[in-house]
Amino acid sequence: MILYIDTSSRYLYSAIVNLNKIIEEIKEDDGQNLSEVALPRIASMFEKSNLKPTDIKKIIVVNGPGSFTGIRIGLTIAKVYAWSLDIPITTIYSLEAMALSGKQEKIHVPIIDARRGFVYTAIYGKENEEILKPQHIELEKLKEELKNIEEYEVITNDEFDDFKNTTNYDPNILKIVEFFKDRKEINPHAVNPEYLKLTEAEENKK
Amino acid sequence: MKDMYILGIESSCDETSVSIVKNGTEEIATIISSQIDIHKDYGGVVPEIASRHHVKNITIVLEECLQKANMTMNDIDAIAITYGPGLIGSLLIGLEAAKTLSFIYNKPLIPVHHIAGHIYANSLVKELEFPLLAVVVSGGHTELIEMKKHYSFNKLGGTLDDAVGECYDKVARVIGLEYPGGPKLDQLSNEGEDTYKLPIPLNDNSYNFSFSGLKSAVINLAHNEEQRKNELRQADLAKSFQNVIVKSITSKVRKAILERNIKHIIVAGGVAANKALRKGMEDLANELKADLSIPPIKYCTDNAAMIAAAGYYAYLDKRIGDLNLNSKSQDILQ
Repeated sequence: MILYIDTSSRYLYSAIVNLNKIIEEIKEDDGQNLSEVALPRIASMFEKSNLKPTDIKKIIVVNGPGSFTGIRIGLTIAKVYAWSLDIPITTIYSLEAMALSGKQEKIHVPIIDARRGFVYTAIYGKENEEILKPQHIELEKLKEELKNIEEYEVITNDEFDDFKNTTNYDPNILKIVEFFKDRKEINPHAVNPEYLKLTEAEENKK
Repeated sequence: MKDMYILGIESSCDETSVSIVKNGTEEIATIISSQIDIHKDYGGVVPEIASRHHVKNITIVLEECLQKANMTMNDIDAIAITYGPGLIGSLLIGLEAAKTLSFIYNKPLIPVHHIAGHIYANSLVKELEFPLLAVVVSGGHTELIEMKKHYSFNKLGGTLDDAVGECYDKVARVIGLEYPGGPKLDQLSNEGEDTYKLPIPLNDNSYNFSFSGLKSAVINLAHNEEQRKNELRQADLAKSFQNVIVKSITSKVRKAILERNIKHIIVAGGVAANKALRKGMEDLANELKADLSIPPIKYCTDNAAMIAAAGYYAYLDKRIGDLNLNSKSQDILQ
């Protein structure tokens, strides 16, 4: 029984997965309410499926990039959960999850708006192998990178007019969990966000 | 009633802390992970950096506390959490951790106001007697709170602008002391004389305080001395400033004791560690024959023991939350 948690955007994506089947799933736009509703919504999946928190044997959590506060909400739940029950936990990039949810068999380019002309992005091949590693870059620079790639599918939840072939991100959680369920586990104490960006105070200090 | 062990979590500013307290009075174990050295480089707490450290530290602090207490989560009867006020990003880490533990172990979740925590730090030292006056002095608060019984709070007055600790840190900066300058200013004042004339702020008939005028007076004074090429006698300024602060606070506390028939005065919050203020409060309590409690320094700064202690009395008052609990950056203690 695997618990999947992604709160790295304004959406709550979570599921309980067992033997290649979704037992319960949540995909909802929670806007600014994530901190309030994330845990009760996750708890409601257990109630509906008549499962106990101790039935979970592994946690997969998205650790960024995305909303700083959002990432920390899901990650805190996940690491406290894994630590307290001493179960394996592994982290994945939001961008990896997005790439796996592409609709076409092409090169996948997940993009998250990071504001002020910047994006969080990466480029993944057809087998989800990394072509451009996850990073925080200027949108214009990403467009440069993409000039050399003939066909690709952009996956995003944000508004970009710059790309022809764009798919709205709707996570295929079963596919994500099956793909990453054997990724190396991490000590819960060492599970940390991947912001891919320093805080403003740190940047100004440099 | 059987013994009740409460696990408290506090993350409202730059300290990640977890504590286990028995029956609201007996501290079993407390762990505090402070970020003070990290924020020193920035001259104050940077909220985003604080949040990033809380999420890094939270499970480590939880584990160390349980180990120190030689207990497991199954030995815990309830979880108390600082829901506010404070830095929202920081508060949320403690909140999500507390909610997750409450969910997994099916234990009651008790929301605690940060100031109630500071007040109940005293219950770890001495039983509270009512009617009681809590003098809450910290970097974010300056309040006089009357309590006629447990977990009942009536705010008599508070600061109209800066908090007293905030004023300390700003004045310390003018004097040239490194952040956090309050404690350093307190120490420096021992070497000085009260020679600078500063206004006693809001010297009126209310229970309120105002410190921004005093802060401006110090800034102007330092500026004028510089213009006149006079040397700023740091220690004398520290002493003069402290005297005004202590006079301002004790005059309002005196009024409250006399008018509200107060039996027990407690001083709470980070500035309760200030030696000049402690001395001023002791003299006043002696004069008016009131009981005085000032928590040991370790309970003055932010810690989870005080949250677990307050949580016990909040629980007895049936103030229990659920998984929908959210953090609040601002909230009135009531």
